[in-house]
Amino acid sequence: MAASTNSLISMQSRSGMAASRICSLKPVSLSNQGRSFLSFGFRSMPARSLRVSCAAKPETVEKVCEIVKKQLALAEGTPVNGESKFSALGADSLDTVEIVMGLEEAFGISVEEESAQSIATVQDAADLIEKLVEKKD
Amino acid sequence: MFPFIQKMLSFQRSFSVSPSLQLPSPMETHLWFVVPDEFKSVSLLNQYMELLSPCEKENVLSMRGEQLQKQALLARTLVRTTIARYQINNRVVDPRSLKFKRNVHGKPELEWESDGGQCPSPLHFNISHTSSLIACGVTVNSSIGIDIEEKQRKIKNNILAFARRYFSLHEVEHLSAISDSEVQRQEFVKLWTLKEAYVKALGRGFSAAPFKTFTICIKNGFRRGFDHADVLESGVCHKIPSSSEKALMHIGNVCKEN
Repeated sequence: MAASTNSLISMQSRSGMAASRICSLKPVSLSNQGRSFLSFGFRSMPARSLRVSCAAKPETVEKVCEIVKKQLALAEGTPVNGESKFSALGADSLDTVEIVMGLEEAFGISVEEESAQSIATVQDAADLIEKLVEKKD
Repeated sequence: MFPFIQKMLSFQRSFSVSPSLQLPSPMETHLWFVVPDEFKSVSLLNQYMELLSPCEKENVLSMRGEQLQKQALLARTLVRTTIARYQINNRVVDPRSLKFKRNVHGKPELEWESDGGQCPSPLHFNISHTSSLIACGVTVNSSIGIDIEEKQRKIKNNILAFARRYFSLHEVEHLSAISDSEVQRQEFVKLWTLKEAYVKALGRGFSAAPFKTFTICIKNGFRRGFDHADVLESGVCHKIPSSSEKALMHIGNVCKEN
């Protein structure tokens, strides 16, 4: 959560927007070097929920873990969480692509080839999913 | 010519006992492989661990589970001991002394310090592994990429949906024309490994050659066609028969950057 606060601050200085503007009802989409991980579709946003939208919800992370466990046929009790790296779990490139396809199906999204290749951890996948789901809505 | 190591037992502390190897000639590829199941001795594996750099050790230990750790360990050991055996310039090389770096796109390379200063290593390598096989390909002065998959590997998604998503049009057509689902699955795995090996040989990362942008035509023992023919001047594809489906690409000329 501290990290997301930092990125919010840097975003402000980059765009030169005053804090009050960010809390306004205008939809704002800010790119950070092409990585638009802070894409806000505001309706009514109390300040504290700004932090929530910077990292994926636990339910999303959980669902990704389930799909990963299934694809990699992991042994019962293998710990999988947000920080788990796909490569450390034994996923090769084919597994990663299959996992991405499974995620597309489960969340009703479409992931670009390049984005798929940049996913290294479960958290990366969950964050990307939420970004794409948000774009959809 | 495919020499291979049966076991690594001959490699103990006195690595100078290992027979030295002749470098591959320009159009040659050497393929080395080991079978993880054949390595059961914990003390031997611990010895291998001592060959690795601190970074490699950390990476091995970060793998979840003994089997994955063993695979990662054997992969690095295979790379280090194999390259060391080539004894470039007739110097006995300690596998521990080899330095590796990543190129700007993340492809692992041998760091090579010649007497006159820095110049690129003549030796190129690439590795791939499954739970049943670890392979390392070695060439001189040409890029190499290698990918291995289990022949029996099951694809969880619908194969044609997968192909439409990631493969080129020609390849989708090729796969669609196969009526037997088992044969289709095998062709799919074959195509995947070939495409993966090609991209690994290019060493520019996945985004430099998205799978959709090139076609591999498999005709009567591997003839290959590419959508952009100026990328490659010549290429030879070898198929190594065994229980695992292996695809190895040897690109005769280094891929030119655009």
